[in-house]
Amino acid sequence: MDQVAQQRVPPRDPDTVMTLARLGAAHQTRLSFMRQLLRRLNRDDWTITQTSFDIDAGGVGHAIYTAQGPDHAYSLVAFAHDLPADQRSDRVIATAWDATFTLYDGIPTEADIARLRDNVPKQESGRISDRELSLSRANRSVRLWDHVVDALSAGHQPDEDQVRAVGYLMRTTAVYGSGKFGAADREQTRHRPECAGPFQIEMLSVYLTRCFVMDLVEHMARARSPGTAVPLDPALRRRFGIGNSTGLGMAPFLVNHPALLNAWVAAREEALARVRSQPAAPEATAQAFRRFAARAQIHAEGWHSAHPMQIQKCTDLRSDMKALMAHLDTADLTTDHPWNRLWLWGEAHLSLEGQEQLASLLMEPYGDLVDDLTQCMAADEQASFPIDGTMPLVRLRDIIEDIYAWALATDWTARKAQARVWYTSQAKLEPRLGERALEPIEPYEQPLGPGRDAVLAHAALKDAPQSTVAEFLLAHPQHRHIARRAQIAARLPYAEIRDNTLSADMLPVDMLRLKLSFFGACHFDPRSDRWLRINMFQHAPFPHELAETGDDWTLPPLPMGAQ
Amino acid sequence: MMWSLNEIEALSRKATRGAGYAWGLAEEAGRAARWTCAAGWPGALALAEVLTRNDGAPAASLGPQALGETWTATGGLLCPIATGATLCDLAADWAAGRTVTTGPVAWPLLLVPYMVWAADRTGAHLSLHWQGCTITRGDGKTHLDDPGAALDCAQTDTVHLAAAEARHGTMLTRLYRATPMPQAIAILETFAQRTYAPETEASRLTGAGAGLSDND
Repeated sequence: MDQVAQQRVPPRDPDTVMTLARLGAAHQTRLSFMRQLLRRLNRDDWTITQTSFDIDAGGVGHAIYTAQGPDHAYSLVAFAHDLPADQRSDRVIATAWDATFTLYDGIPTEADIARLRDNVPKQESGRISDRELSLSRANRSVRLWDHVVDALSAGHQPDEDQVRAVGYLMRTTAVYGSGKFGAADREQTRHRPECAGPFQIEMLSVYLTRCFVMDLVEHMARARSPGTAVPLDPALRRRFGIGNSTGLGMAPFLVNHPALLNAWVAAREEALARVRSQPAAPEATAQAFRRFAARAQIHAEGWHSAHPMQIQKCTDLRSDMKALMAHLDTADLTTDHPWNRLWLWGEAHLSLEGQEQLASLLMEPYGDLVDDLTQCMAADEQASFPIDGTMPLVRLRDIIEDIYAWALATDWTARKAQARVWYTSQAKLEPRLGERALEPIEPYEQPLGPGRDAVLAHAALKDAPQSTVAEFLLAHPQHRHIARRAQIAARLPYAEIRDNTLSADMLPVDMLRLKLSFFGACHFDPRSDRWLRINMFQHAPFPHELAETGDDWTLPPLPMGAQ
Repeated sequence: MMWSLNEIEALSRKATRGAGYAWGLAEEAGRAARWTCAAGWPGALALAEVLTRNDGAPAASLGPQALGETWTATGGLLCPIATGATLCDLAADWAAGRTVTTGPVAWPLLLVPYMVWAADRTGAHLSLHWQGCTITRGDGKTHLDDPGAALDCAQTDTVHLAAAEARHGTMLTRLYRATPMPQAIAILETFAQRTYAPETEASRLTGAGAGLSDND
């Protein structure tokens, strides 16, 4: 082995990375899906145009925003509604919204608009077609919306503190893609470069939604007072993202897509390992890192939550960032594997929030080294789906003992260990979480407790007379689900959450946060243990600003004098 | 009505679970229904009939009793979901030249996706044959040779699986939408309903954890 290979830092151990507490401390990175999207829009010179804005003074009508790329156009068709306050709910069970959207594959005709007007406002109870790629809806942040319209129509800018406190004018309450409610399946578009990465269609839809919402609020101010209204100051405008309320429905996604989960986490871990493996760094890179860290500190100071759990995490992060900045004052960031030394310092001195923020920061100055990993973040789920039935049964047992060691060490007879049941309600098929001991829901349990299932399979394997997996599963089909997962996790190290998803202590928001951090979301604000709000595309350049800002927008800017 | 393939898969997975199959089998049946619909075949109808026939049947009666050269079921008719699962599990055996002949099977067209996955996984060329109908898979392409229109028969006395030497018939072109028969969908929806917990007020308020108002 040569010297370079010896000094290569390996990716982190999945037993370390895939615990719920650490997934629940994940931060956005350069590899996040929003950042992939904006890099592409900029690199390939996309044009984004408002092609229709037919909305009356009461805020009712429709608008179209078309994004034209090298080979394809995509159009956000937005419908604005006049929603009574008593119908404003962010639950999936809601039936009306302030605005509803679809991303159309191409440029819609008048007939398309008429068809979509009959269906998109109904969301789940409407029907879209293979011309549509997503379906979504959003509600106003009533307080901030009214304040901004009041201010602009009176001819002045809204109050910065109020903008900072909320951060968005509308929040989406669901963004559906991939074949939902009649939309096109992913295989219809995934061969297109702009659709190949995960959730690129959904991210484009949200980015265009932000354009629409900002135009709409200025339109409403003008409609109210054409003589005095002013548009938003461009710098203040950038501070508005699009909010999102995310509930339980997103948590099972991570468990139901093990190969995809692995692809995301493996790309991030490889990126971190590449940076940690750098033997030295130029002074300019060290300075760039210090600036990113200072901006992350501002970000941490501006992160607010009303939930005690997140308040504690934010407090930890702020003190982590102080410690990091103090360490950076004297740390050598240029010689002797500087980033690995910094990482090891972080593991010893920072909370999980701080460690995962540091992982994200280490990638920031190294786009040339890590950005190509975004090409590895999609997964061919069919390739890993079939079970290898010719595998000897002893090998399956060994795999279970390796991947699910944590579960085999858990006392599953304790009521707390499997206190929860994941199930689907009849009402709009809403995913829910219940208490096994208190509610008659066990017959409806979804297969979302791999640890428990692995332990059951392991017990059955002990006395099994069969010699191959196929024979065993023919006799015990109830273990097919976990046998498949175990075989996938044996090949794909980050495919499985290595923690108890049924425990009384489990916090669904930890799973939501991991997924949303890969989207590129910031300002996670749990409202309970099972749903949260986030901000998407805050500080992002608007289409006409893309070329100037490039990819450097997620962290807030430094104060003018400090740059 | 046109359906997306994701909708077909999700409905079929839930329906299969609702009919009493294990989750692992239901996951595969969902994908099998999706594959057959994308081939333009009556996959939803086939699955609906299989589930109706086997509703609540003991799992041990559905698949092969033993994995020798001939597979038969104690229940009389092999279920394509249970049989297909084992057929796909043994992909490496078929690639190595082993063959199998089955006794009576319900809706043999549902076995095709499992054979396809076995071929794709191993890189082997495999074929399924019944009543003059031959389906071959190799190099990611599927060929259908069916002069007697036996593809969508509701049952057949025997099916033969072997490595394929040659490809006959016409190459399938895949579809991106499904047009299942409404009565098949109705049956699948009835089975799928069994996987949904009845709505209660307590569940509505606490199960998703959120309040109902979004006015702030």
